[in-house]
Amino acid sequence: MNKKAYYGEFGGQYVSESLMNTLAEVDKAFEEAIHDPEFIRQYHYYLTQYVGRETPLYYAERLSEKYGTKIYLKREDLNHTGAHKINNVIGQILLAKRMGKTKVIAETGAGQHGVATATGAALFNMECTVYMGKEDIARQALNVMRMEMLGAKVVSVESGSNTLKDATNEAIRTWAKTAEDTFYIIGSAVGPYPYPKMVKEFQSVISREAKRQHLEAEGKNPDVVVACVGGGSNSIGMFADFIDEPDVRLIGVEAAGKGIETGEHASAMALGQPGVLHGMRSYLLQDTDGNVQLAHSISAGLDYPGVGPEHAYLRDTKRAEYVSITDKEAMDALMELTQMEGIIPAIESAHAMAYVFKLAKEMTMDQSIVMCLSGRGDKDVNTIADYLAGKGYMN
Amino acid sequence: MSINRIEACLDNLKERQEKAFITYLTAGLPDMEKTKELVKAQERAGCDIIELGIPFSDPIADGPVIQQASYEAILNGATLKKIFACLEELRAEGVQVPIVFMMYYNTIVHYGVQAFADKCKEAGVDGLIIPDLPFEEQDELMQALADSDKTILLQLVSPVSAQRIPMILKNARGFVYCVSQMGVTGQGAAFHSKVAEYLASVKAQSKIPVMMGFGIRTAADVAPVKEHIDGAIVGTHFIELLRENNFDAKAAEDYIKNFKKELNAM
Repeated sequence: MNKKAYYGEFGGQYVSESLMNTLAEVDKAFEEAIHDPEFIRQYHYYLTQYVGRETPLYYAERLSEKYGTKIYLKREDLNHTGAHKINNVIGQILLAKRMGKTKVIAETGAGQHGVATATGAALFNMECTVYMGKEDIARQALNVMRMEMLGAKVVSVESGSNTLKDATNEAIRTWAKTAEDTFYIIGSAVGPYPYPKMVKEFQSVISREAKRQHLEAEGKNPDVVVACVGGGSNSIGMFADFIDEPDVRLIGVEAAGKGIETGEHASAMALGQPGVLHGMRSYLLQDTDGNVQLAHSISAGLDYPGVGPEHAYLRDTKRAEYVSITDKEAMDALMELTQMEGIIPAIESAHAMAYVFKLAKEMTMDQSIVMCLSGRGDKDVNTIADYLAGKGYMN
Repeated sequence: MSINRIEACLDNLKERQEKAFITYLTAGLPDMEKTKELVKAQERAGCDIIELGIPFSDPIADGPVIQQASYEAILNGATLKKIFACLEELRAEGVQVPIVFMMYYNTIVHYGVQAFADKCKEAGVDGLIIPDLPFEEQDELMQALADSDKTILLQLVSPVSAQRIPMILKNARGFVYCVSQMGVTGQGAAFHSKVAEYLASVKAQSKIPVMMGFGIRTAADVAPVKEHIDGAIVGTHFIELLRENNFDAKAAEDYIKNFKKELNAM
């Protein structure tokens, strides 16, 4: 057993033998890169000049006043391409170039990671193929068009449930065939080691900035840090620099869909059943025979049956808490943030917002919450319109 | 002689200087009764070892044919528990052919690793092939199997395993499964460009028989590399053939007899 690949009992490298050397190469190249000042300089150059970092830590005045505690929003929605996903793509694509790869592949659910990868591929002149479930292609036509405009080939995956999980399976299958010239850019904090570590490294810029910004504003650390969790990329980035600050509560918000009790949800950790999928051992939604169960959430970005292995570890060691928020609670929070602060969040981020509202009621004006506003809601307007029409509260 | 059925079978073949022929079929496709009938037919036809695919929702090492087979078997109600029961019936009815489960690790973790290992020994599973459990992740299962020779974990190597081969083969048992090409099952016989070189290298380093799988349809496919291998494994093509013949046991028997004859006439 390769202990380095594990977070407690979670993580590992559950891939076919033919990918083991590839993972070793990626690991070696990654470790060298992050210790190379020139690589780090390039990475930060693109984050500043291309992505538009640093992003603001915005003090949400009206919400803070209403809920009686200080609410800060880390504005990842202001990044180029509209979400935190680009932070990681820039890092991994620079690594791919450094390794001499000419092609990149990616999986995508809602299309945000696909768009970010297609963007990076255009920027660095690499051939890009994005695997996307047939269902998701139908649901996210706008992002499919964006990816194609950017020069990526979008492959429709028609197997299993035709969603993110199946798109990931297909990307792994393709990678096993083509790893010689192809780099697989994983968008979430999942997959075989070293992917969870890489994604954390390239997303940790979120908490590095937020910690300093909060210190400048308040002269101390926040009391609580909150982020939504699908696979767990924005949340691991938001937690990273606070993990060693024991006074800071870390809270990850999973999607409860129609409610955990209905079985139609995406809360891998709520049930706490370990499993193996996509190259990692972590908590996983499964049926009674050990087949992977379909996740459900109104937010395509949280619609994933597993969760990154470091989150599973943070849960078991009680360093972080994981809670869940239903579709309805998230949509109510989305409308409230929109109408009170003039920010339309991604439905993913609205899950974190909904929990912040619950939590804030127990807090005081001397305390503060930092929430990762992981993405903007432009991609979700159709979903939002359908939801509101169904409820009839736009009338 | 070893008490493991696979090892006993391979010792026998070695004595007779014959090559092994191994087939793969998805358990529960189209249903458990048919699976039982097909296993018996294959044993009659002289199949040396039978791989039973345990259907899983996310078979990442498989191409479209086995993915679809797996999906349909699940829809038709195939579960690990039912497959264990099916195997116990087969053994009770006198089936002696070595049987290997080819499956994904989640199915085992879900069942409980020790409970699974114990059940395999009891039910008559002779070997396991787990494509998403590389050497580094095998400790837990190896430990669970260690108290008996009844069920052994078989090792896979790929054309890019290179310097990993000695480590993988060191304590390997039964046979070594040489994946003939990169990627997934069922891509046809367009083998990796240096496949002969690779098989020769594995053969030179292996103390146990070397079997080649992935993409084989006919005995002629393996003719160019016959001196480097001790047998061939046919999966995807066998499933296609079963489907074309409406899962007719006679068609399976004819194919196996013919393949075996050609394989050993080369």
